[in-house]
Amino acid sequence: MKSIRAKIIVFAAVTVAMQCVTSTVAKAQGILGGHVTGNVQFDGQLSKRDTIIGSSDVPEKLLTNARADILYTNGNFSAGLRYEAYLGPMLGFNSQYTGQGIANYFVSYKTQTFAVTAGHFYEQFGSGMTMRAYEDRYLGLDNALRGINVTYRPWKGVTLKGLVGQQRYFWDTKGLVRGMDAEVSFNDIITAWNESKTRFTLGGSFVSKYEEDETILADISGFKLNLPKNVAASSVRMDLNRGGFGLQAEYAFKSQDPSIVNDYIYKNGNALWLSASYSQKGLSANIQAKRVDNMGFKSVRSISGEMLYINYTPSITKQHTYAFLSMYPYATQSTGEMGLQADFMYKFKKESLLGGKYGTDIHINASLITGLDTTVLGGKGTEGYSSSFFGTGETYYGDISLEIAKKLSSKVKLTATYGYVVFNPVVEGHAGDIHHNHVAIADLTWKINRKNVLRFEAEWMGSDSHYDPIVDDKRAGDWIMGLVEYNFTSAWFVSLSDQYAYKDGVGNYYNLSVGYTKGATRLQVGYGKQREGIICIGGVCRNVPASNGLTFSLTTSF
Amino acid sequence: MKKSILFLAAMLVFGFAMSQNAKLPENISIKTLDGKTVETSIIKNDGHPIIISFWATWCKPCNRELNAIKEVYEEWQEETGVKLVAISIDDSRSASKVKPHVDGNGWEYEVYLDQNQDFKRAMNVVNVPHTFLIDGEGNIVWQHTSYVDGSEEELFELVKKLANGEKIN
Amino acid sequence: MLAIVSAAAIGCDKIDENNYIVYSGASGEWFDGTPVEDHSQRAFLEKYTGVRCNNCPTADQVIAAASSQYGDKLVVVSIHDSNTLQRPIGDSPDMRCPDGDTWSKALGVFGAGEYPMALVNRKPSGNGWERFNPVGGVSTQIDEALAAAPSVALSLSADRVDASIDINVYIEYLSTLSGKQTVTLLLIEDGIIATQKMPNHSDSAGYQHNHILRDVITDLWGADIDANGQAGTCRKARFSYTAANQEWNLDRCHIIALVSDKESKKVYNSAQCSISAEK
Repeated sequence: MKSIRAKIIVFAAVTVAMQCVTSTVAKAQGILGGHVTGNVQFDGQLSKRDTIIGSSDVPEKLLTNARADILYTNGNFSAGLRYEAYLGPMLGFNSQYTGQGIANYFVSYKTQTFAVTAGHFYEQFGSGMTMRAYEDRYLGLDNALRGINVTYRPWKGVTLKGLVGQQRYFWDTKGLVRGMDAEVSFNDIITAWNESKTRFTLGGSFVSKYEEDETILADISGFKLNLPKNVAASSVRMDLNRGGFGLQAEYAFKSQDPSIVNDYIYKNGNALWLSASYSQKGLSANIQAKRVDNMGFKSVRSISGEMLYINYTPSITKQHTYAFLSMYPYATQSTGEMGLQADFMYKFKKESLLGGKYGTDIHINASLITGLDTTVLGGKGTEGYSSSFFGTGETYYGDISLEIAKKLSSKVKLTATYGYVVFNPVVEGHAGDIHHNHVAIADLTWKINRKNVLRFEAEWMGSDSHYDPIVDDKRAGDWIMGLVEYNFTSAWFVSLSDQYAYKDGVGNYYNLSVGYTKGATRLQVGYGKQREGIICIGGVCRNVPASNGLTFSLTTSF
Repeated sequence: MKKSILFLAAMLVFGFAMSQNAKLPENISIKTLDGKTVETSIIKNDGHPIIISFWATWCKPCNRELNAIKEVYEEWQEETGVKLVAISIDDSRSASKVKPHVDGNGWEYEVYLDQNQDFKRAMNVVNVPHTFLIDGEGNIVWQHTSYVDGSEEELFELVKKLANGEKIN
Repeated sequence: MLAIVSAAAIGCDKIDENNYIVYSGASGEWFDGTPVEDHSQRAFLEKYTGVRCNNCPTADQVIAAASSQYGDKLVVVSIHDSNTLQRPIGDSPDMRCPDGDTWSKALGVFGAGEYPMALVNRKPSGNGWERFNPVGGVSTQIDEALAAAPSVALSLSADRVDASIDINVYIEYLSTLSGKQTVTLLLIEDGIIATQKMPNHSDSAGYQHNHILRDVITDLWGADIDANGQAGTCRKARFSYTAANQEWNLDRCHIIALVSDKESKKVYNSAQCSISAEK
């Protein structure tokens, strides 16, 4: 009980602090001629047991995640630190986060041509296929590097980067990562091209990790793996644009890297990503293709889990935001996949046949992701497998969606969506039948007047999956959902929603949320049941266990 | 626990410290839609106000906000000289969709990519949408997170005040 | 840009397809074993010493006396870590051993910086291990170690052909042990002549050094014993090792085997055998 009281005191203190801070909205604090800015986030959760949805009692009663970033800037100089406290990490966060302390600190000096950061930093080379140190606070993921990061621009249009560091692993740092990157914008370095409509940029990167030898036994008794101590990845990339046309490509290669991700095989890794697009006012089309083959790149070969990844191979599938369309999200299979994604968007003009008085937007997306066509050569301590470049394996995921947005009157706007999702449970690591889901969504916003806005959302999902207590996937079956949201001015909102598995499934997930926003401060309190599921942001997914109870969240920037 | 209370207390003290407007940072690297790296010092508007909006292609409220402003953007510009700069925080999963998305929606804003989220961190943005108002001298004078249909009108009231040389508090 | 990409070619270790797996000298090949005849408990004494440490010869005398008193119940290794007192004097042989240096640092000897220093059976004490100066005598610690009822019986044999050595280790659990146990194999050499600083501060050019650690054959903290720790379990392990260094006189070398707790590093029992071709 004592700890609960303490947490409530902290929560109160944060609230008071925020009010003080927001009373000086958007005013940074002048110290020694510089500025102090920052942001604070405080999330709490009270969960209780519910055997149907599978939530369990939390021994600590109240779980809290809190963090505060403080940033000091003075001209070219800046310094920052982040305090994190996971006093009982929230459900779904790795329990290794338990604890509190300064999780991130840095000093940095930046001019237009030169920048150096010492301490924790985030960095990305190209699309991140060789290196991406990043953070996603909602996924509980932080791959920050602690070390030194330097950027130098010797000439206009040329950017060179170099870094060396160790990766964050919860409250520890591990591994040793070194990298460099170069990028050249040809329109800047070639005078004749300065004004050219064609814009061309070329880049290349090289990243290497070092790890000491360790004993990993081979499958053959009496033998162990001969492990590479240095593993390197490199890539080349280009970005070509002319008017509405755009073409981007990146190819990455990784040397032998037996690790827990690929089950200790010695095959080289590679990945190719292509994106082509055309757009003009009111019309756009984009096609992306990707092939990833054994590209899981971790700074510590023997630690599983989502931490310690050096690179990032995002999924190219559309990031759906409606509940049922994102019920079965796709996560990149860094061991191997092939994918194709197409997006098309068109605006029917006002007063046209299909546009009506206010115009109509349509948005179509389709994607298909399959495994690679592989021939197994052996297990641990062998080449692993061979793959044909253009061959495809089993279907992992496919979706097609059509979204039509139309203003019905000056006050009412309707967005109607139909989606079809094909999902292979193997991408979540277990066998099972492929699910085929149809989803229909109506989303209606009614702007009653300047101060009062109502939003309604209705969703339906018909699935050929059935609830199976052995697999215990609570997303199975047919679902309906309703949501009503009322906004009073831009400050207050109340929303009430319910998701119900009406056929072949289990669960009834209701939720009531109230939120208050003022300036950069937002407070939200919710009560209800959260479905066990997978939250994906970017290319990374996290399992969130079921919860039943009260949640609250406070964020602010100052 | 004691430590964190102390820490929060320290922040409170910061809160009461002498206030002064933060400047828009000038040396953060962002990218143009055609792939060129530039510095945030490129964000300028000849002494007129600037709206900076952090958004992402997958963020529905962001799109509603930018679409709503699109309808009135021309009027706003004529009346106050304001300029909207949209900063996409899309990562490599969707960054290549930003340009088609912007064109497809017919947005006339200046748009930059903040894939590594350096600018987002420097501006202490936690969630999108997050909107800042910058005065003619480059001071950050107002910020707001989240979007509700209609709240762009409140934003415009503030822009008008700024354009008339009034103080915002 | 090209330079960066081509750096990839030199920035990684390329392993030839025929060498993806290597014979695991370090982890052994495990078989069912038979009961071990010799159930005696032995004391493993590791002494950290240095050629520029003028008190070390006194410790050598104390340990030599103990060796004749306890006979094969006492197993001794003499370790030269990378501290300053261990630098060879003049051009006499270098007895420093990187494996011993890692042990010295991990067991807190290097950090304390006092030589000579000794441990018996790596007895845990507080957050570290019990260390003592052997100049003042070693029998208290040895007696204590020998008084314990043996929990593991251990014997070993070695066959050498030139520099390649096949080592067989026989282990019998006499009582049930929790946690993981490891077996560590050491190569030690006797009769090395190297200049030593003496108690009277003179240099003794003809000083004979015994029990010098040359190499740790297994992983530094041992190879996991492929057993569940139940009393009565008998295991046999085969290790194969090539003593690569030309400067070692294998006819004067011994192999020491230790059975330890994987977590605490405490040594349960030890044994040694000669690999002399002249036996």
